[in-house]
Amino acid sequence: MKTNTRTAAVAAACTLAFSACAFAQAPAAPPPAWKQGMGDKYKDSKLAPNPGKNTETTASDVPMDKLKVPKGFKVELWATGMPGGRAMVRGDKGKIYMGTRGLGRVYEVTDAGDKRTSRVVIDKLTQPSGVAVQGSTLYVMAIDKVLRFDDIESKPDVQPVDMTAKFNLPPEQHHNWKYLAFGPDKKLYVPFGAPCNICEPSKEYAQIRRYNPDGSGMEVIATGVRTTQGFDWHPKTGELWFTDHGRDWLGDDGPQDELNRMSKEGLNFGFPYCHAAGVVDPDVTKAENKATACKDVTKPVSLMGPHAAVMGVKFYTGSMFPAEYKDSMFIARKGSWNRTQKFGYDVVNVRPSADGKSAKVTPFLTGFLDAKEQKFSGRPAYILQMPDGALLVSDEQLGAIYRISYSGGEAKKK
Amino acid sequence: MLIAFFAPAAAAQTAAPAIAERLQACAGCHGPDGNSVTPGIPSLAAQPKIFVENVLVLTREGMRGNAVMQGLMKGVTDREISALATHFAALPAKPSPGEPDKALVQKGRTLSGKLRCGTCHLPHLRGREQMPRLAGQREEVLYAKMIAFRDKPPPGTDTIMNATLYGTTDADIKAMAHFLAHAR
Repeated sequence: MKTNTRTAAVAAACTLAFSACAFAQAPAAPPPAWKQGMGDKYKDSKLAPNPGKNTETTASDVPMDKLKVPKGFKVELWATGMPGGRAMVRGDKGKIYMGTRGLGRVYEVTDAGDKRTSRVVIDKLTQPSGVAVQGSTLYVMAIDKVLRFDDIESKPDVQPVDMTAKFNLPPEQHHNWKYLAFGPDKKLYVPFGAPCNICEPSKEYAQIRRYNPDGSGMEVIATGVRTTQGFDWHPKTGELWFTDHGRDWLGDDGPQDELNRMSKEGLNFGFPYCHAAGVVDPDVTKAENKATACKDVTKPVSLMGPHAAVMGVKFYTGSMFPAEYKDSMFIARKGSWNRTQKFGYDVVNVRPSADGKSAKVTPFLTGFLDAKEQKFSGRPAYILQMPDGALLVSDEQLGAIYRISYSGGEAKKK
Repeated sequence: MLIAFFAPAAAAQTAAPAIAERLQACAGCHGPDGNSVTPGIPSLAAQPKIFVENVLVLTREGMRGNAVMQGLMKGVTDREISALATHFAALPAKPSPGEPDKALVQKGRTLSGKLRCGTCHLPHLRGREQMPRLAGQREEVLYAKMIAFRDKPPPGTDTIMNATLYGTTDADIKAMAHFLAHAR
């Protein structure tokens, strides 16, 4: 079940300029994980995480008229009624599975051609955001549980196999809800985020691991990863590309979220000492280490915007979209909270350079954010490519899925 | 395993009791105007809509709340939950009765300031969106809730309240509950 937020961060956090640490006699109180590093200048700040929505949104309440895509593309509402639905995976027989966080559910969405229906596969889990499929077998990972549903597409009532013991999951919740994916090597890739905003985490956190599908053979393949919420493999090079969220409470402009490329195993991506393209952390870096904090750190291929909340990544391998999109990425940015002017709330197209060392970021699906009113109508989170080459985009705020298709005509020239 | 079908179309149930009938069940304990006069029962008046929705959805799902509330919420649709939440959000909150203990209020105010309750619950402590109104809530309800957050946090998407209250003493929490109950 739930565990308390006792982290290796406590000691580090209380060295920060945070008054809560100063008043309690003993033990010292850590600030809330998301408030760590919130210096005195934020004493009167009212910035707080955006509220989610745990109730169904009917089709007529999804503001489709606001959404925009480039010329020649079309965006339509494909499904709704899955509150909190995030990452999507598709089984061999066409069923789609979606995880959630606070609501504790995993959904199955069935495409009946002209309409979609959904059901709850399992509920009452603690943040079951991680879903992956191999064939028709579904894997679900929550904070404290790993479940396998064998051949669930054909056997809707199948009882899950509890795999939890094999995966040795650490207890912290913060940033430890999962994104899951099977790699080209058929292994299961699992991130373990830093259990804090900023801290020096213990050795089981701030990393990406991979396992054999049965939970054996665990390897840590990347370190210094604060919290990746999505990754995919380049269709030609086979390299893993992943998003990572920058820390909060260092100002409106950064450190920016990251898009990283794992050119080999064992790289260090910088957390907690070196953020973004070389921002040395002012809270946890000792004075004598400031000059070397970014040494041997792999810098991001591209900065993805301040507090943007970069989520799912998908390389486009379909043939429906114009050729220029082939092998480019679509990346969802769920949108900021730790910033006075909201940023993100879109899906961008990201085109890597031939050498994979830089990338061009172009808005693709927009209209969720009303910049003038500082209000958002939805929060795009994950992307799934369908067999026909269309893209599905999940909206975690509205519990909806959009379908983006290309219907011919000239592709918009960039 | 619980398998629940809930295609959106199924939301319009013909046999479901009207909202007025549901509200009668709420009023029995939480007060007809949403201001509870019953020890241990929270006031719902002027609570933010999203907060009430979240509590009711998670209660229905069996992820929080007691057996009585879980029983009452059985089969209540999302649409009804939103209607209930809208109703309570619009009711005015009444100030807590009785004279506050000035010294205890001052201690509670100082502690609440240090814990930065106002970042999320806003400086007037009336809450917003997913963060509940604290001002004027029943003192023993606030006390029990904060003790529970500190010692046995309930499910949810974050660990904020647990971490906020980590290291506070029962006496600290008593002072904050007193201050918040008398805040307006």
